[in-house]
Amino acid sequence: MRTLLIACGNCWRGDDGAAHRVLDLLGPDIGAQLRSVQQLLPELAGEIAEANLVVFLDAAIDCDRLSLEAVLEPEAPPALTHVSRPSEIVALSRALFRFKGLAFQCRIPVADFATGEKLSPSAAVFAEEAARMLLDLFGHPARWIDR
Amino acid sequence: MSRTVLIQPVTRIEGHAKISIQLDDAGQVESARFHVTEFRGFEKLCEGRPFQEMPGLMSRVCGICPVSHVLASSKAGDMLLGVQIPPAAEQQRRLMNYAQILQSHALSFFHLSSPDLLLGMDAPPAERNIFGLLQHDADFLRRGIRLRQFGQRVIELVGGKKIHPGWSGPGGVQRRFTFAQRDEILSWIPEAMDSVSLALERGKRVLDSFRPEIEFLGNFPSLFLGTVNSHGGLEYYDGLIRIVDGRGNSIAENLDPKRYATYLGEASEDFSFVKFPYYLPFGYPQGHYRVGPLARLNVAAFAGTPRADRELREFKQRGQGAVCESFHYHLARLIEMLHCVERIEELMAHPDLFGETLQAHASLNRREGVGSCEAPRGTLFHHYWVDPDGLMTRANLLIATTQNNRAMNLAVDQAARRFLEPSASGEFEEGKLNRLEAAIRCYDPCLSCSTHALGQMPVVVEMFAVNGDLVRRIARPAVSENA
Repeated sequence: MRTLLIACGNCWRGDDGAAHRVLDLLGPDIGAQLRSVQQLLPELAGEIAEANLVVFLDAAIDCDRLSLEAVLEPEAPPALTHVSRPSEIVALSRALFRFKGLAFQCRIPVADFATGEKLSPSAAVFAEEAARMLLDLFGHPARWIDR
Repeated sequence: MSRTVLIQPVTRIEGHAKISIQLDDAGQVESARFHVTEFRGFEKLCEGRPFQEMPGLMSRVCGICPVSHVLASSKAGDMLLGVQIPPAAEQQRRLMNYAQILQSHALSFFHLSSPDLLLGMDAPPAERNIFGLLQHDADFLRRGIRLRQFGQRVIELVGGKKIHPGWSGPGGVQRRFTFAQRDEILSWIPEAMDSVSLALERGKRVLDSFRPEIEFLGNFPSLFLGTVNSHGGLEYYDGLIRIVDGRGNSIAENLDPKRYATYLGEASEDFSFVKFPYYLPFGYPQGHYRVGPLARLNVAAFAGTPRADRELREFKQRGQGAVCESFHYHLARLIEMLHCVERIEELMAHPDLFGETLQAHASLNRREGVGSCEAPRGTLFHHYWVDPDGLMTRANLLIATTQNNRAMNLAVDQAARRFLEPSASGEFEEGKLNRLEAAIRCYDPCLSCSTHALGQMPVVVEMFAVNGDLVRRIARPAVSENA
């Protein structure tokens, strides 16, 4: 299974870098391709098309527990901005580049976007929890389907 | 009773802005303005830092054109060191600048402006985006995405990463260009050339169908400023400044970009955080000028690559000495994309690119340095002052979008007067308001750069009564961003 993990966020804005911390914890030998980006842009649609499984990791300030959910089709028309959501990137990839794989979004609860490279204590704990969850799932590929 | 309309936020641009429209007693447009509502203050942030850190710090001004800021900053650093950088470093910097312009123009044309151009200015807003394009012409959209991906890939290969690459600094660059990198870049060229050629041919056909927009979205005489090489040709990395007027007459030749402060001034207006640069000998506002793709093609005698030269000759037929219609920024952008792909291919055969000497080593030799280059949106200047220890005491950034500020205001004003007519109920058609935003998009402004902000980018339109009361405010819903 070709797996692509995409960490999104700005490492210089405190907890916004939580997703990147997860990739650091997983390390390069995880058996997946790792991508770090500040924001999701349409050209990622071409890259994810080559994967069987793609996981978008991002900091989430509006939730209080770690979640891993399937990326669904965008419900509403996308906002007219230069930034895209995982649902939009996946929809583009399926339509333009024949992406047929599974796509998930991992949301890491965070608290503080103040300038700086340090994660808040709670964000650091959730980043470790996310890494453990992904490691566990990589060890049991069938569980992705169950999700 | 007169009133004012406010469009906020303006969408599909980089940064935060709003458009305000003043209506008279009869409900007709009296004037319109483009307001930039961000403030960042990068010039202040850098004070006290070593000048060697500036390319890395200044690249954070923008996530779209960080390479331009790295280049201008590195060149200012070269001047502080008093060095001439090795040929390999110069060719790498040139390659990165072509890739930067290509990917930025692809973003502007395919992602931000094509929904207007291919689906129509009056298409429902819910469809006027890249998903609407997907339904309309998936191949066109796929090519646009791939073209930008190509530019980004070149930047990643040479700079080590796509955004904020730190490979260049005062005195040269840090990484050697390899034959494997060359081979990968060359493997992209046929597809890139095919895509940009198709987009150009289609663009010419489509753009010409927008006659009212060509005529009224920022069609006015102005000065044009851009960099040219010693033969008067199109130049992005290092050259001399040339200024022409709206009829193509030469106003100034062979200006040294390092001496920009002797011929360019900056005026302020109370309605915008962005300054209004002008050509000093003409004063403000008469000396206002435009920069960017349209200006570059107006000041350049030739492009210097076969396909772009053919297109440039044809492009110049559209004007009388100079092309003054801002809508033609789109076409100019397409021609520049073609030129960049040609130049990138050409550079792959340049032996200097593979040189092993990457750095000119020196300590601080000057207390003041200026670096300039052509960024995607126009001429960019970085001006630094340092103390004897090389710590920054002051910086001045003259950004491309800043230099187009007055032109964008004139474009919005012209578009509002031509297209906005309230209905009996006093409402304005969405498509008409979109034309005001489209007037701004011609310039592909980067407001994050020009205010040297954090947060969301879109514009707001506000309408005001004569007594100053806000009558109506139109804002699109904001979305969360990661940048």
